[in-house]
Amino acid sequence: MTTTRVTPEEIVSSFQTRFPQGITQPRVERHNGGTLKTEFVHVWFRIETGLLKEAVKHLFAFEPYPHFAVTSGYDLGDTIELVYHFSLFYGERGREISLNMTVTLPKDNPVIDTITDLIPGALISEQEKQEMLGVQIRGIPKDARVFVADDIPEGVFPWRRDETGPDKLVRNLHEGDP
Amino acid sequence: MIPQLLAQLFKKPFTNKHPRKYIPSSSTTFFKDVQNGKETMNPPVKTPERFRGKIVYEKEKCIGCRLCLKVCPSQAIVFKEEEKKIKIYLARCTFCAQCNDICPVHCLQMSDEFLLADTEKYSPRLTVE
Amino acid sequence: MTTISRTTYQIPIGPIHPALKEPVNFTFEIDGEKIINVDIRLGHVHRSIEWAGTKRNFIQVLYLAERICGICSYCHPMSLALAVERTAHIDVPERAEYLRVVHSELERIASHILWVGVAAHEIGFDSVLFLTWQVREMVLDLIEYLTGNRITKGITMIGGVRRDLTAEMVPRILETLQQLKKQVQRLHRVMLDDSTIQMRCRNCGVLTKEDALKLCAVGPTARASGVRKDVRLDQPYFAFGDLDFEYTTPDVLTGEVHGDVYDRIIVRLLEIQQSIDLIEQSLDRLPAGDIVAESKLPALLASLKKVTGEGIGRMEAPRGEVFHYVRLTAAESPYCWKVRAPTYNNILPWIPMLLGQQIADIPIIAASIDPCMSCTNRVTLVEDNQPSLVDRETLHQLSLEKTRRLRL
Repeated sequence: MTTTRVTPEEIVSSFQTRFPQGITQPRVERHNGGTLKTEFVHVWFRIETGLLKEAVKHLFAFEPYPHFAVTSGYDLGDTIELVYHFSLFYGERGREISLNMTVTLPKDNPVIDTITDLIPGALISEQEKQEMLGVQIRGIPKDARVFVADDIPEGVFPWRRDETGPDKLVRNLHEGDP
Repeated sequence: MIPQLLAQLFKKPFTNKHPRKYIPSSSTTFFKDVQNGKETMNPPVKTPERFRGKIVYEKEKCIGCRLCLKVCPSQAIVFKEEEKKIKIYLARCTFCAQCNDICPVHCLQMSDEFLLADTEKYSPRLTVE
Repeated sequence: MTTISRTTYQIPIGPIHPALKEPVNFTFEIDGEKIINVDIRLGHVHRSIEWAGTKRNFIQVLYLAERICGICSYCHPMSLALAVERTAHIDVPERAEYLRVVHSELERIASHILWVGVAAHEIGFDSVLFLTWQVREMVLDLIEYLTGNRITKGITMIGGVRRDLTAEMVPRILETLQQLKKQVQRLHRVMLDDSTIQMRCRNCGVLTKEDALKLCAVGPTARASGVRKDVRLDQPYFAFGDLDFEYTTPDVLTGEVHGDVYDRIIVRLLEIQQSIDLIEQSLDRLPAGDIVAESKLPALLASLKKVTGEGIGRMEAPRGEVFHYVRLTAAESPYCWKVRAPTYNNILPWIPMLLGQQIADIPIIAASIDPCMSCTNRVTLVEDNQPSLVDRETLHQLSLEKTRRLRL
């Protein structure tokens, strides 16, 4: 169930035409494997935070059900960066293209819109970002903790590297040993 | 499934043999009897070749480069500063043999000794130096 | 006249429960015997692995990745190695890629055979459980012969593998595969020709194709609903691009797709046969050469210390797509490491599968997606103080009783 053959460069340029100023640092990586050196492609680009939801809607132009893998997030000091990993064109041999979009959120206002109305499978990933990094996701259908236990206090975000990080709660079990 | 189950009645059991046919009422007396020769014990299963058991450390070859400390995933190796040699705590060792691979003078090997149970974590049987 | 009002009542199941192999907390809303709503909470085996990984160098972190899960203990370090290799542009030699195929397919066989045993146990068919354990011993002995250990293999290295496969090992592998083929035929007859299993599993726990696509299900769970998603074919990693195989969907065997538990059994049994075939193909074509790109480990560590960039590694684990994202900033340890295990994506499909089903079907439906909670949770282990209101063994007994009722 794939659409017409689209090359990765065409995907990037279609995003760039749709969002003229929003896409920066696009990168198309080609890797190969095996003796026949079959190739596969990873596409990376950065996008403005406010345009993320529109960009995800634009993915539906290529594929009726894009596959959402996960959102990775990390703390860079003043900003939090989230990388959304999607993949398109599964179902036929050797044609899948991985698409990775990076958004930057300022730490004093880490708010972003949800994408669960477009892709319901993103729910657990968004809940995880809320509890691990302190990101606020507008419109999330179920606002509850999913991985962090209930007795970890509010305001401690395990993936952050500043004072709200987990360092005070870390217990080195081997420290009693000789 | 029924033919398979009926055939199993006549076949040898697939599981490895326990040291004794029936559970002894006291394990310590059983082991003492085996040592005196009064009873026999089914031997443990033979290990495959290149099995990763207890580490063997050839102290004279070691040059004190500390590369094994860097690579150990569980930080089981400690460096003795005065002697410039290492000490390995088997209580933390994961038997991955990564230290064997990185050692430039090949002074670490893995033997096939695996019966390493002990009551104390840091007993001399479980430290290699 | 008194009015009787019907309300639903809630049953919490888990996290410690004999029907579940791994801890997860379900809260079911029940009306009579039917399930109306289900709420899932995870987080009981969270061990802060991603945080710990940022404090270890690149060789130590491979061993940490291996301990994320016992059954998927090959795909996590391998995906991490793929991610680091793609970031650092390390070329893996061809022989290493074929050896990686052999190891990963052996792990898939062991995992699927274990699953068949667990699924049979949930229905109450304990003889099959012991038969599968016997078959699995052959596979585990072979894995020990090739890699040195049965479960946590310790054979991954960034840039290749640690142990080679010599020509003397090949006859033994082929002989074990022949015996495996006979045993798998027997498992086919036992599981698929049995009318009780069909009565129990047909039209039970149905996941429609559209739900599977919207909720991004992966692995055999998605393929049993007719979605053609398999990372080995979509984005061929290792040497899968050279090998000859196809997507496994239930219509290969039966001609139609229902998306229920029976279809998942079919998909996994077909995949065992496919894996045996793939191992034989790769042993035929094994090229000569090195097994690792850089055999001097201090040089490897020194070169990785200079790399910046980000990379992803995707692999098809026995349960679905494993995804690792790593970001390197020219330091001894990775700056950021994100692990996404396949059960992560397969948890949301539990909800449409369980609605409208009976309580006695909960164990088999929960086990049919092959949940691996250790892969899903990677945080600090916490004491759970939620009391469980269901008796021990009650759920398992309910499942056995239903099977007995059907047979009479």
